[in-house]
Amino acid sequence: MRKLLLATAIGLVAAPMAQAEGVLQLFNWGNYTSPELLAKFEAETGIKVTVTDYDSNDTALAKIEAGGHGFDLVVPSANYIPIFRDKGLIQELDLSRLANHGNIAPEWQNVDWDPGRKFSVPWQWGSTGIAVNTSVYKGDVNTSAVFLEVPEELKGKINVVPEMNDIVNLAIMYVGGSPCTEDTEVLKKARDALLAAKPDWIAMDYGATERLSNNDWAASVNWNGSTMRARLANPDVVYGYPKEGYPLFMDSVSILSDAQNVDEAYKFLDFIMVPENAAMISAFARYANGIAGSDAFMPEDMKTAPEVVTPEEHKAAGVFLPTCSAKAQEYLTAIWTELQK
Amino acid sequence: MARRGFAIADLPGFAAVAGGAFVILYLPIATLAVYSFNAGESIALWQGFSLRWYEAAWRNEAVQDATVRSLVVASLAALISTLVATAAALGTTRTRPYRGQTGVYMLINQPLMVPEIVTAVALMIFFAAIKKATGYMGLGYLVLAHSAFCIPFAYLPIRARLEGMDLMLETAAADLYAGRWQTFRRVTLPLLAPGIAAGAMLAFVISLDDVIITEFVKSAGQDTLPTYMLGQMRRQLTPEVNAISTALLALTIVLLTAFFLLNRKRG
Repeated sequence: MRKLLLATAIGLVAAPMAQAEGVLQLFNWGNYTSPELLAKFEAETGIKVTVTDYDSNDTALAKIEAGGHGFDLVVPSANYIPIFRDKGLIQELDLSRLANHGNIAPEWQNVDWDPGRKFSVPWQWGSTGIAVNTSVYKGDVNTSAVFLEVPEELKGKINVVPEMNDIVNLAIMYVGGSPCTEDTEVLKKARDALLAAKPDWIAMDYGATERLSNNDWAASVNWNGSTMRARLANPDVVYGYPKEGYPLFMDSVSILSDAQNVDEAYKFLDFIMVPENAAMISAFARYANGIAGSDAFMPEDMKTAPEVVTPEEHKAAGVFLPTCSAKAQEYLTAIWTELQK
Repeated sequence: MARRGFAIADLPGFAAVAGGAFVILYLPIATLAVYSFNAGESIALWQGFSLRWYEAAWRNEAVQDATVRSLVVASLAALISTLVATAAALGTTRTRPYRGQTGVYMLINQPLMVPEIVTAVALMIFFAAIKKATGYMGLGYLVLAHSAFCIPFAYLPIRARLEGMDLMLETAAADLYAGRWQTFRRVTLPLLAPGIAAGAMLAFVISLDDVIITEFVKSAGQDTLPTYMLGQMRRQLTPEVNAISTALLALTIVLLTAFFLLNRKRG
């Protein structure tokens, strides 16, 4: 046993990180990559993908900026793509090597954070809205008023997820401002709305999937994927898209500037833009993917889910949060700190 | 019994407070262990008993790889740190007091005092430079980093054991014409062995559950069990994480029990 362990140890320590052909190092959010997708990719191309996890954009950015990490691909959120790009950490894509680039759905072709999709291809996207148990509250759910001017039925029963950017920007849009605003009048209104509503909230916590499923909470500001899982457990739960504006998020895959397996990385990007394969990503992590035609391959319970397939009338209110200026960020943080007191 | 000193156990309500403290300390861990046997997908809704999550974790390739990696790193780190710690303990107890001895203690125990995140960031930057210069990105960096912060944990029990040992035995050996090496080999080392074993086990456990330094130092494809579990947090947690935690907890309890028994023997 000891010999075996020692031999393994020496083998593991001595083997330099393989740069040989047929491997690819993917740096992705934890529990976000479908193992079936990787198995299929390996079967088709012979390339073995190794996934390493991170749990925040900042961790990923710090490790990649330090260098010497050995990764080929990274999956930052929308507001982090410009940071990676401006620091020169990700490379401009040679679109002629990506035959399936045209499969990106039209609404994701020209996004603010990456015009023309020259640096990133879609992985998954979702939204922050409001989950409501309709057996408790029967009014309009498509408004931020549900958590900012809490209706009588929901007082003391609604939760708000503790995500600064989502929550403060929801309030800013509710009072008529635009995300990351520096207009102090608007900011003051948003702050007052949040502070006035807070006594009616039961908590500011994660774990809404569970708590909505077992009726601990009657409502929560929540993400769409999580709300879908709650609805599958508790059919009374519906997902509201606030008409005043609600935040969208998207994580996209980019090739790192110091990637060692660039050819393999291109093959992988092209692979995940095939509708059938994109659907595998969604089937695993339960969020939509941004590839046109992937709907046909989605699992039945997602194809028709009103949380995943945004109804046409609610599409316009969805907003990607931009990368805020330092000043705007300071205001957001100040409001958030006051709200936490 | 002329006069009894103040004993905290005599205070009224001692047992209740102590009992309450233990409940608060262990209840969350007990909950975690209980839900690892949940039949459903929830970590808060009990849906019957099942071993499915243990099976799922056992079959999960990412978990397997991370487990092997964790064990390899912890074994090597325990080995290296115990060797260094033994030498350090001998060098700080079997000598005449010298100037700067306190300074040496502090240097050896530095990982206990410097916040872990500071060490982690420093190591990340330092190792990144070496990785770029040499092109080597293997597991060696993790082993080195773990060895370094495990040294004080191995050092403290070994030194405690050395200080409790009767110096007369070593002096007697020298009187009987044993050379320094012979004395060490035949007298000091056998007496010290339980301390060394205890130190090695403590180092192993400390390395096994490290998150922060590992998260910053790891290169591509080097997730250990704790960093793998951290990565699961962003999405919905399933009882699979409970199952992994419970297994890790069981391993830790076994090692710490062995540590306790070895230490008790010297009394």
